[in-house]
Amino acid sequence: MQLHPPARIGLHPFAQIGLHRLWQALLVALVVGTLTFFLLRLLPGDMAFRIAASRYGYDLVSAAAAESVRAELGLDRPMFLALLSWWRDLMQLNLGNSLVSGEPVLHELAHELGNTLQLAGVALLLSAVIGVPLGMLAGSRPGGVIDRVTLALAVLLRALPPFVLGLVLIVVFAVQVSVLPAAGHGAPSHIVLPALTLALPLAALSCRVARDAMVSVGQSAYFAFALTKGLSQRQALLRHGLRNVGVPVVAYLGVQMVVLVEGVVIVETLFAWPGIGHALVHAIFGRDVPMIQGTALAMGLLFVLFNALIDVACHTIDPRRKATS
Amino acid sequence: MRTSLIRRRCLLAAMALIGAQAFAQTTSQIPKAADTPSTAVLRIVGPWEISGLEPASAGYLFARMRVTETLIDADDSGRALPGLASRWEASSDGLRWRFELRASARFHDGTSVAADHVAQMLRRAASRPGVLANAPIKLISAEAGAVVVQLNKPFAALPALLSHSSTMVLAPSSFDAKGGVARIIGSGPFRITSLDPPQRFEVSAFDRYDGALPLIQNASYLSVSRAETRALMVEAAQVEIAFGLDPASLERLRKSSRVRVESVTIPRTMILKLNAGHRWLADVRAREAISLALNRAGIARALLRDPALTANQLFPPTLAGWHVPTLPPLRMDVVRARELWSELGWQRGRDGIFERNGERLSFTLRTFPDRPELPLVVAAIQEQLRQSGVQIRVAIGNSGDIPLRHRDGSLELALAARQYGLVPDPIGTLLQDFGTKGGDWGAMHWKNGSLQTALNELSSLPPTATDAERMKLRAFIAQVLHEELPVIPVAWYRQTAAVSPRIDGMTIDPLERSYRIDRMRWASPAPRER
Amino acid sequence: MSASINTSTAVYLVANTTRKTHKIPVYIGILILLFLVCIAAFAPLFNRFDAISQNLDRVREAPSLEHWLGTDHLGRDQWARLAAALRVSLGSALIAVLVAACIGCGLGVLAAWRGGGAERAISAFADATMALPGLLLVLLVASLSPGAYALLYLGVALSMWVEYFRVVRAMSHRVLSGSPVEAARLLGFGPLYIVRRYLLPELLPVIGTLMCFGVSAAVLAVAALGFVGVGLQPPAAELGVMLIELMPYYEEAPWLLAAPSACLLLLLIALVLLAGEKDPR
Repeated sequence: MQLHPPARIGLHPFAQIGLHRLWQALLVALVVGTLTFFLLRLLPGDMAFRIAASRYGYDLVSAAAAESVRAELGLDRPMFLALLSWWRDLMQLNLGNSLVSGEPVLHELAHELGNTLQLAGVALLLSAVIGVPLGMLAGSRPGGVIDRVTLALAVLLRALPPFVLGLVLIVVFAVQVSVLPAAGHGAPSHIVLPALTLALPLAALSCRVARDAMVSVGQSAYFAFALTKGLSQRQALLRHGLRNVGVPVVAYLGVQMVVLVEGVVIVETLFAWPGIGHALVHAIFGRDVPMIQGTALAMGLLFVLFNALIDVACHTIDPRRKATS
Repeated sequence: MRTSLIRRRCLLAAMALIGAQAFAQTTSQIPKAADTPSTAVLRIVGPWEISGLEPASAGYLFARMRVTETLIDADDSGRALPGLASRWEASSDGLRWRFELRASARFHDGTSVAADHVAQMLRRAASRPGVLANAPIKLISAEAGAVVVQLNKPFAALPALLSHSSTMVLAPSSFDAKGGVARIIGSGPFRITSLDPPQRFEVSAFDRYDGALPLIQNASYLSVSRAETRALMVEAAQVEIAFGLDPASLERLRKSSRVRVESVTIPRTMILKLNAGHRWLADVRAREAISLALNRAGIARALLRDPALTANQLFPPTLAGWHVPTLPPLRMDVVRARELWSELGWQRGRDGIFERNGERLSFTLRTFPDRPELPLVVAAIQEQLRQSGVQIRVAIGNSGDIPLRHRDGSLELALAARQYGLVPDPIGTLLQDFGTKGGDWGAMHWKNGSLQTALNELSSLPPTATDAERMKLRAFIAQVLHEELPVIPVAWYRQTAAVSPRIDGMTIDPLERSYRIDRMRWASPAPRER
Repeated sequence: MSASINTSTAVYLVANTTRKTHKIPVYIGILILLFLVCIAAFAPLFNRFDAISQNLDRVREAPSLEHWLGTDHLGRDQWARLAAALRVSLGSALIAVLVAACIGCGLGVLAAWRGGGAERAISAFADATMALPGLLLVLLVASLSPGAYALLYLGVALSMWVEYFRVVRAMSHRVLSGSPVEAARLLGFGPLYIVRRYLLPELLPVIGTLMCFGVSAAVLAVAALGFVGVGLQPPAAELGVMLIELMPYYEEAPWLLAAPSACLLLLLIALVLLAGEKDPR
């Protein structure tokens, strides 16, 4: 967004978006890699001990176990050598093996990222399905009852910590009514409650964004003109309204995606969803350096990718917009 | 006009969407126990993650789900029972142990359990971190149908060590080319059908098991990190058994008609580990003052919600032979605690905290959140010690910090939960905790010659020794620990589980070795869809 | 956690809804905020209990004349704890937000002023910070010293500053390229004068709005951190930590969880109402 690679005149807008984001991705990879590396080295406590604790459990952690971990992983190498080899591996997309499970980080990431994306995707869809129609409804009569109620709900949902919301949903839908499983992973129904926990606060936002867009569409000259020139209410809405409501909603989807990918940590922990947020927290407690670097990198690159997708989507909806805002 | 039409259309759209959603919700199915017992799955949740396939890391989970076996098994009181070894004997000097293998035992891949492979597995376990590394082992070799362990000195607890999950026997096909564990192929009554670390695995009965075949055909284990979530899952009948529940959830589940709560006291004790080499804690009176400040009854009643868990000595009654009923119970006496600090030259400052030569009586108390009750109890201890004039700074971090600080000497106080039945005979754990150099989870900079002698004597008693001889030594050890307080007992433990009424025959293993799913059965009538 | 994003979403909630200048909501907002500040400041005067003394014989009691909001799971007076929590939460959240705002505004103005390479470098740094998950940043900073609330909030601040940076940079560009500033420059006025005379009056209302939401986002972010096990350090009371600590008792003693939840909700409502007046557009 803020970075301006040399402008290519005559390049297709999508290519421009691609180039710009690629440059950003490279930068992100380097900065994220280096930063996580140094932050980790600054942490107090002994890395070998933490790894031993997560490997063998706290009943079996001992100095001997830590020593064997230290010898096995070469944790006593000088720092700059470790950094150099991290950079080299990064360039080769070799993220190493998890220090705890011994599995390749890339392999674990793929597994967890898939779960998180799935959860985030469903949550996003739910939030759009709940939020946008309600928002358009509210926006069609600003200041009306629905407008006020949705505003109150939006404030309430945003003030509620996600774990409280999740707990309420479990108690209601799993324990009281028992139509949905409380937690876990495997069957399709498992995704409903965690996705809903994520989706409701997001729907609160989508609802307000859609509502405002709707208000401005309703007040716009082109909309009035469309009606004057004889288009029915429905045609006018489809032809002019939806497109104009779409741009801000899609633009905010980008922001929401990042909220989702980050916010899943709590939801994943509460619902035992084996995603990347859960993995990140575990990796930090276990001092699983390659895993932390891998998850941070994945999250950073995801952010860039989402923004690129949003750029493309906005451009498709409204080609007048500049390729890179 | 205009807006009202839009509004109606939007309303319609919104209703359609809500309807679609409701439809999607009702059609999505909950994974359920099917009609017949043969396809029904017994679902278990616990807090423990499958952190790896190595026997020493998450092997205990496979042992608990009865996938793998160890040479020796144990009963509730810790007495050794035959496992993969059908019988065993020690030479009269106690230096040579011979474990005869169960000839009919088979791995889940169909191969038989060969003696030389078992010997190799034991050598592997002894060379890695784990309990076997503490034993004075000289040589492990194979004979026809038996494994022979030769020792440098007599070690009575060897069978106990060989029942620990880190010594489990996996089939040769479990290992990859580099010698790492690639899959879990054991010899127990259940075999793994799907393994999805770090969260879940599923097992089915192994129909060629040479012992009693289990009544339940399928089971699964799922790791769920939040205690509240586990409680809600069992309450919602999404799982049949939930382990590791927090006191508040247990209280709620006890009142619920949907589940029953099973519990058993286990040989685990919550201890305050302290640095006896610390200049303010070296005097036994200082350690006693800390002990006197603790309101153990209050902690057990209000936080653990079970007055019976008030630890009045280190070893709980479950550890028969080690628990000495005649020991004077640890008590709370804040006034006496303050007197003891005064005797040591401390004077109370303006805010009630003791001071001496311009220094405040202040310690850092470390603990870790893996067990949900530890941070809770730490908060109570902090306040109780403040009442007695001792300032406590609490640091909640990784469990690995405690052994680390034990080693570099910077540990002051730590709250931990120590399983003395880690191997069925506590002597193995005690040697580790109160040996000459102290232990990561035991004494620190504390020495007592007579205790050392007693420990060594007990561990090298010949197999022919009488129970009376053992009891005498054990009682002596318990008494020394009680008077010297190298670690201060806070509370005992109770293992609890919430069980669905669909399950019969559920018992809890006090040694936390097994979930005993091979002994459970579906309640009649056969489980139906919820 | 998603503190930075929370702020932007919250700003959106307000910026576009209360576009008209209503005075009454603002007064209500101020009243609620005053009410909370009064609880924080004066509660100890009317209470003979302190926030840390425990009584294990009287845990999880319902509200009574003696204990106005009951007692918590360790037998501490919930009313005293709530007041202490409000002091800590409001105070440190404010500091976190101030730090974030200072870093963000400083860099934003600098970037817009200098332009060129400097701007590109700072923007790249901001982009990279955005790409580094806020959660990771806070977790790392917080684990530097477990239990230090200051560090916890510093971590939150570090993940929030980009928000201010972006807004301030964009606005500064517009203001600085405007003709009044150009005229002032020609007249020989120094940068300080220009910032004070032209930039700040434009920026302050917007920053004020952002900060209003930053406060509640920071409190929620710390609560979320407590949930994943960082920052739970007894005996200090803090709204987010109280939520986590008391969550297990939601059924047997719902009033315990209700008190900090209600405080948080009131705080957010007050900030929404207050910020609504200062429409950035």
